[in-house]
Amino acid sequence: MRKAMKKLVSLGLSGLMVWSLTGCGNSKPAVSSTSETQAAAQTQESAAAKGNALNVHIDVEVASMDPQIATDGTSFEVIADTTDGLYELDADGNPVPALAESVDKSADGLTLTYHLRDAKWSNGTPVTAKDFVFAWRRAVNPVTASEYAFIVGIAGIKNADAVSSGEKPLEELGVTAVDDKTLKVELDVPVPFFESLMAFPTFYPVNEEFFTKCADQYASTPDTLLSNGPFKITAYEPAATTITLEKNPDYWDAGKVKLDGINYQVIKDSQQAMLAYQNGDLDLVTLSGEQVEQFQADPEFKNIMAGYLWYMSPNTKVAGLENLNLRKALSLCFDKEAVCSNILKDGSIPAYFAVPTLLATGPDGKDYREDAGSNYFKTDKAEALKYWEEAKKELGVESLTYTMIVEDTESAINVAQFLQSEIQTTLPGITINLEQMPKKNRVERMQAGEFEIGLTRWGPDYADPMTYLDMWITDSPNNYGFWSNEEYDSIIQSAKKGELALDPAARWKALIGAEKIVCDNAVIFPVYQKGNAVMQKAGVEGVEFHSIAINRYFKNTTKK
Amino acid sequence: MKRYIVKRICISAATLLAILLILFLMLQLMPGSPFNDEKLTQSQVALLNAKYGLDKPVFIRFLNYVKNMLSGDFGVSYTISKNTSITTLLATRLPISIRIGGQAVLLGTLVGLVLGLIAALKHNTVFDTMTTVISVLGVSLPSYVFALGLSYTLGYQFKWFPLLYQQQEAIKSSILPTISLAMFTVATVARFTRTEMLEVLGSDYMLLAESKGLPGGRLILVHGLRNALIPIVTVLAPLVVSLMTGSLVVEKIFSIPGIGSLLVTAIQSNDYNVIVTLAFIYSAMYIGIMLAVDILYGLIDPRIRLAKEDDYEQS
Repeated sequence: MRKAMKKLVSLGLSGLMVWSLTGCGNSKPAVSSTSETQAAAQTQESAAAKGNALNVHIDVEVASMDPQIATDGTSFEVIADTTDGLYELDADGNPVPALAESVDKSADGLTLTYHLRDAKWSNGTPVTAKDFVFAWRRAVNPVTASEYAFIVGIAGIKNADAVSSGEKPLEELGVTAVDDKTLKVELDVPVPFFESLMAFPTFYPVNEEFFTKCADQYASTPDTLLSNGPFKITAYEPAATTITLEKNPDYWDAGKVKLDGINYQVIKDSQQAMLAYQNGDLDLVTLSGEQVEQFQADPEFKNIMAGYLWYMSPNTKVAGLENLNLRKALSLCFDKEAVCSNILKDGSIPAYFAVPTLLATGPDGKDYREDAGSNYFKTDKAEALKYWEEAKKELGVESLTYTMIVEDTESAINVAQFLQSEIQTTLPGITINLEQMPKKNRVERMQAGEFEIGLTRWGPDYADPMTYLDMWITDSPNNYGFWSNEEYDSIIQSAKKGELALDPAARWKALIGAEKIVCDNAVIFPVYQKGNAVMQKAGVEGVEFHSIAINRYFKNTTKK
Repeated sequence: MKRYIVKRICISAATLLAILLILFLMLQLMPGSPFNDEKLTQSQVALLNAKYGLDKPVFIRFLNYVKNMLSGDFGVSYTISKNTSITTLLATRLPISIRIGGQAVLLGTLVGLVLGLIAALKHNTVFDTMTTVISVLGVSLPSYVFALGLSYTLGYQFKWFPLLYQQQEAIKSSILPTISLAMFTVATVARFTRTEMLEVLGSDYMLLAESKGLPGGRLILVHGLRNALIPIVTVLAPLVVSLMTGSLVVEKIFSIPGIGSLLVTAIQSNDYNVIVTLAFIYSAMYIGIMLAVDILYGLIDPRIRLAKEDDYEQS
């Protein structure tokens, strides 16, 4: 008997041991999960967009499908696939009417009356002016705590800032539904880039009835999402690694949509993403900087200009850095061409400006950089040395040591090390120490003013030079260097809410002047404007890349 | 035995609570907050902190969290999937990670045992050498090397398996990650089984059993392997932990929607509730496994159980 027991125990031993470990002693969830996964797999299989669908790589999960909550480029892109606002952007980044069929502008430009076209949500209910009112109020409602509430104020919508700070009730926001198809927008000031802002997801409509019905679950599954755009979502869950969209047959402009759908695949490892592309699993993939050299000769390789400007920000409260000659010396002493062509190699361009290129189009229809020229901060090591000699005299020092804080990503560190060696070689006597840290930490240090020089970047929020120039006014939380200039402040103030706001041409000229002040004072040391490298399968045409807010539009994309 | 188990469970619960508190304190010390994006104004940050209760002192937050946790509420995600409850977030992810981890332990232990046995029985032959080579490779190469190698060869070159995890082919696409994760377990278990078996095989009682004419299979499995198992069970617990850390990378490589990849993202973006919940789950698993191992000791070797009970009575 005892022997039999022993035998039983020992025979079952390996199995038991292993069993107890598989699910830390509870096999139940594991078992039920298999059947759940299979069930999910079946529904997903039927839901996966087939045929002429585009397979797209994203390197981060969608953080939110809620247009008033989302803050990142990936979320914005998928939201824009499924939702239309008053306007959308064309291939060149110019706003064209989407849900707005026509607009009546008052003589002073402060009242805009939009007539909406007939469009439907994917549950069959019509898109009405009320949906816009609900969404915009939601964006500025302090209860929503939308991180992009500020952009409603940027759009100049009446009382936006007062409502979002809780000083005025929601009803006082300058947006009203005259009737189902008429939306009246009142502005505090005319905003030249208002139409392009209307393509920004924060301004997309939300159906109140549907939203209320979904309660907390809104925008978390295909069942709690409505679409009025080119595509509708068929498979999605919070932080999903695959997202499936299918063409929306009820879309008002469905005739233009040629794709049957879009399959998004989250791949965080860039090597695996490229392998999947080569394997034929993906049609569009974003390359990391170190992959560029390997693939740039490939006919499917493409360079895309992104909006990010990378620059060094000197803290003018640190001894020495208040000296203009020193700042000028530092801003001219490093080889920007080399940063782009030898270090980054991803299509980034040298930044001879403080406001990036391809950002904004002026009243004359030209790109801002065409009007303003790109002749600031041209690398000139001899000139830099002269400024340094001047600075030494003025400051009465022979040598200076500064610490530059850098975030711990590979490309940022590579760039910082190159800058360090360039500065130290060109300007003998200056020593630069590097301090690496996570981005969050760097931002915290810079916000608190606890730094000497910081390598940082800024991405645009809207298609106007103001998205950059606004940073350097006195007391701006993003004016990390504490630089202050009265003339500059007054230009920006006037361009935002004063006289200049009423005259687009004069405003444009004034902004060009304001940028010159920033550059002449070497408030920042611009390094480069970021480029992105992608691989796009032959036969895929019409992917529209933008540097602001929504990075890619697929409405007009075709795939052979 | 019962009292011993009850006592162990109580200690485990207290340990978990302590871990949770330490987590909260450590998160407090981490640079930044979920909302220190450059674009946010001070008043918005204050608004967001108030909305999620982050404006309260860390100890109050800890107490609130434990209270909510006991009712099954692990809070919401701040950044990864804004405003989504952690339970929803994990509902589909946890089973996938557990399944793949479980498969890896199962595969690793079985293959490791077999390899170790063969190596011991065929001591100093070509089989033994092969096992040793596999063990050395498995122990010295991190799991992501296998993951990258396997996905390049079997996935990309031969196209036998999908490169990335696909829900539609949950079983097929979990094979490569399972193998990558299992390699370390295979190697360690094989190495230990071999050493222990060699020792046991050379012992007097085995010689006696053999001379008494016991059949080969029974001799090896009952008298040999059973005695060799104790040290192996001991190394299994740390192995499962290494499996967890391995899964962080392997899940990323195969784009598996599991909890390992989620934890990495959460730490990078200061998504407090996700970090706390996942770290808690990992700790609970680890402690659970230690407990299971302890109880297994007793089953395998009655001497341990008796000794421990004696200890317990005396104390």
